[in-house]
Amino acid sequence: MWVKLAFKLFSRELRRGELTIIFAAVALAVLTVFSLSSITERISLNIAQKSSDFIAADRLLSSNHAFDPQLLSQANQYGLETAKMLHFDSMLFANDEFVLGSVKAATEAYPLRGSVIIKDSLTSQNYEVYTGPKKGSVWLSEGLFYALNISVGDNVELGAGIFYVSKVLVKEPDAPFFSLSGNKRVLLNYADIPTTQAVQAGSRVFHRLLFAGTEQQLTDYYLWLKPQLKSNQNWQGIKDRQSPLSRNLDRADSFLLLAGLFGIMLAAVAMAVSAKRYCERQYDPVAMMKTLGGSRKVIRNIFLLHLSLVTVSSIIVGLTVGYVLQYIGSGYLAEFIGTQLPPAGARPWLLASFIGMTCALMFSLKPLLDLFDIPPLRVLRRNLGDTLAISRLHIAFSLLTIFVLMWIFSGEIITTLILFASTLLVIAILFCISRLFFAAGRRLGLSPGSSWSLAIATLQKRANANAVQLISFSLAIKLMLFLVVLKIDIIADWQMQVPADAPNMFIINIAEDEVAPIKQFFIDNNIHHEAFYPVFRGRVDAVNGEEFSRRLSKQEGEERDEDVKKGVRREPNLTWLDSLPKGNEITEGQWFSGGDDIEVSVFEGWQDSLDLKLGDTLTLLVNEQTFNVKVTSFRSVDWASLKPNFVMILSPNMAGKVPVTYFSAAQLKDSHTQAISQLLKRYPTVSMFDIKAQIEQAQVIIAQVSLAIGFVLVIVLLSGALVLVSQVQASLAERMQEVVILRTLGAKGRLIKLATLYEFLLLGGIAGFVAAVVSDVALLIIQQQLFDVSGRMHPYIWLLGPISGAFFVATIGYFMVASTMRKNTQSLLRKLT
Amino acid sequence: MSVLSLVDVIRVLGLTKHVKTLEGSLTILSDISFSVKYGESVAIVGASGSGKSTLLSLLAGLDVASQGEVYLDGEALSTLDEEARAQVRAEKIGFVFQSFMLVQSLTALENVMLPAELAGDRDAKAQAIELLDKVGLSHRLEHYPSQLSGGEQQRVAIARAFIGSPKILFADEPSANLDSKNGHLIERLLFDLNQQNGTTLVLVTHDEQLAKRCQRIIHIEGGQLEKISEGLAANVG
Repeated sequence: MWVKLAFKLFSRELRRGELTIIFAAVALAVLTVFSLSSITERISLNIAQKSSDFIAADRLLSSNHAFDPQLLSQANQYGLETAKMLHFDSMLFANDEFVLGSVKAATEAYPLRGSVIIKDSLTSQNYEVYTGPKKGSVWLSEGLFYALNISVGDNVELGAGIFYVSKVLVKEPDAPFFSLSGNKRVLLNYADIPTTQAVQAGSRVFHRLLFAGTEQQLTDYYLWLKPQLKSNQNWQGIKDRQSPLSRNLDRADSFLLLAGLFGIMLAAVAMAVSAKRYCERQYDPVAMMKTLGGSRKVIRNIFLLHLSLVTVSSIIVGLTVGYVLQYIGSGYLAEFIGTQLPPAGARPWLLASFIGMTCALMFSLKPLLDLFDIPPLRVLRRNLGDTLAISRLHIAFSLLTIFVLMWIFSGEIITTLILFASTLLVIAILFCISRLFFAAGRRLGLSPGSSWSLAIATLQKRANANAVQLISFSLAIKLMLFLVVLKIDIIADWQMQVPADAPNMFIINIAEDEVAPIKQFFIDNNIHHEAFYPVFRGRVDAVNGEEFSRRLSKQEGEERDEDVKKGVRREPNLTWLDSLPKGNEITEGQWFSGGDDIEVSVFEGWQDSLDLKLGDTLTLLVNEQTFNVKVTSFRSVDWASLKPNFVMILSPNMAGKVPVTYFSAAQLKDSHTQAISQLLKRYPTVSMFDIKAQIEQAQVIIAQVSLAIGFVLVIVLLSGALVLVSQVQASLAERMQEVVILRTLGAKGRLIKLATLYEFLLLGGIAGFVAAVVSDVALLIIQQQLFDVSGRMHPYIWLLGPISGAFFVATIGYFMVASTMRKNTQSLLRKLT
Repeated sequence: MSVLSLVDVIRVLGLTKHVKTLEGSLTILSDISFSVKYGESVAIVGASGSGKSTLLSLLAGLDVASQGEVYLDGEALSTLDEEARAQVRAEKIGFVFQSFMLVQSLTALENVMLPAELAGDRDAKAQAIELLDKVGLSHRLEHYPSQLSGGEQQRVAIARAFIGSPKILFADEPSANLDSKNGHLIERLLFDLNQQNGTTLVLVTHDEQLAKRCQRIIHIEGGQLEKISEGLAANVG
């Protein structure tokens, strides 16, 4: 019998609102967790897959020397798929034309990950294949067809062998990022290497072994391999590959994580408020039921059934909506990327359901337990049991739950602790501020009877409740401001790195006398290009006269950045420039003074690692010549940007002292293909390499993250609105009573309406202001700590906070109580009894 | 007069209730003893704060006495826990309150059915409809409390009080919140149904006229039993 009664009560309570908020809050938390975790999982799987595609394998082993065949046979024993590759440069000959090509010879299994894109003729459509050319055939990149004046079906001489040109090679997954002949690539069958006779002892060749398999197989194999790795052998995984996007991706992950946590936190606040309010509203019915003989067991069953119904239905709805949202989102992304995102596993489903259940249970349990303890005597003593409503235990319980949820969702105790503790601190500060604020408001002394004074009086009267509301609103607005600012900053930061007109092709090896005609060629063909940088190679030989290798070996014992050491030992590309390039910032010292000395501006990463100081003299070794240059500044360099970056920039008076080639970048469109072929034909020593893939990947990730951020922002807005609705709803009965009293005393409807509107405007404005102050300070810290972006103040949020707060709170608040104000006094009185 | 009416349905012996306050212990009821017979109508009268509502709460087992005993239909309430007292209320007691105490989310019919449903009675609906018809609300079955006038809400409460045929009906100021016309209507209904069902009526009121319609009047003053007088209905029945 109680089941029927329980369902009846449940269906009625659903219409009254509080259950709807609990329902919406749980559903929102579930859909946030589900959609975010599944989209991020799908994106990261996709990125991992894409990254594997970039090296055509899961791992690779590279060396300048041939590998022991045992390495491959052992890998096969571990169940890994393997392929062998060899890179070398060789001359190609056809139709009396000689061209130096970059040859990649690969075994049949190549590529282990990703695909090779080819076409049947220069004019036909691209298509994907998952293997290389057959023995006796070669695939050539488009540039070679023009350079050699051949077409598909012709023969070409490669080294000592003659090969049939069967396809046009458009793209390999692991086309090297920096290839000296990016447009003169040859793909050859590994078995044909002897035929070419191009690889002799002492030839400059690069060997690669490719591996693919499960993480476990790869780890097992690596454990076997590690002890026998030689210093000239380099084991590379996806993560080791220095992608300019890896840092951005980490930031995106941190951001989504943070935003997801915020969404959950707000939903949790809404849930805690509504659950408490819902239970409070049940005090009278429960007291009545107990008076009428209802046993504790029956009452407990009724309300536990309510809780189960809300939980189960909200989880189902949350998962369904979450599934649809991530389906739409990933569909959109898939269209954008041009590939399907791999499906996420069971984790998002389980995680979301678990979080939904935990939310529902933990936030409702204490109020429900209180509810069962309501004494039947309440039917006679109306305020009996009211003290139960203010429960420190409930607050402690809710806080603990929020903490645990954040922890589970993020999987990171440190981030969770920082966020949680700072939020608690903010709450404490806000509570004090708001109490002071409301108390100070009493002295304003506005004329009685005006809407403003009524609004202020109402705010003061409920100072405690308003302090709580203010905190909730401030938190909600704070989180929204956070997201807006981070979104604007992060995306702007990224877009700056990859602007819409970013160059997609690097042009290198331009001789000094070729600069002017190539510039003219670009102008004639309407090709947008960057400046032409002079480039030469040089090595730091000594610092202040002390030999550099000795200086480094002195530091061997200390922990030094390995990359930097490698960078110093090799010959980096150097340049001279008049002005500081975009994306670089002077961190110490001054840009070139224009004096007679040759000056150098050094990347700040070298400053610490190599103990360099302003005023140090570096001895550079360039083509057997030595130059003493003075360190006059240190610079920050954004290595993530897809732009030419230099470790050392010399002052312009270096010009003419060393032979240089020039380097530029251009934005090429499909329509420029023919023109570029002509250019390459006219200047055969010039090389180009394509960074379209990198640019595209960057843009895809920006699109993914923008979408995800937009989505999270909507979720946080919804959660914020829920908090607001739950708070206003909790005060609705009290407001109704006030309206009745005011009406009875003859207050005009307009006065009451305006007073209500002003009250919410004030509350929202104050909350927005506090939120703006707190956000800006916290953003400074978070941007620096979490996102590694240079922190800056955001004056616009000082305006945006109060305005959006006032608008948001007033709109929702006013519309929620508007229906109350439209009712006549009599029907309000009846609702109150 | 039936045989049953000679037996006490309520026996109160030395009932005392202390409450703790900031200033110390406060005695609300002191050493009250009386008994009520089956089918009898008894009014408890007294000024505000005299302790009459506390007495009602102790008689109905809504609260427990500090000293003394209440025997309800032969059962000593002090020996029962909260659950067992709820069971006693479910089986033997009906209530009418000054503030109606209807469940706002249930219709008039559902409110009347509530005690029967809590007790697991499957025939509740027919009985509830019949009772609502008796109180003149057969046309308001599906209305919610907020859609009913105060008088109508109290009539629903009366119908609810009689469902399950309780042995005792406790009424706490049943007409105090109503205008005189509705108040009289409610009082008449209460006494009529009481007589028809042979229920024992215990009425808490400060209205002398209403009290006089009962057979006996228990006067409480300052937490003590001042006197027990006979009402106008003393010789009726």
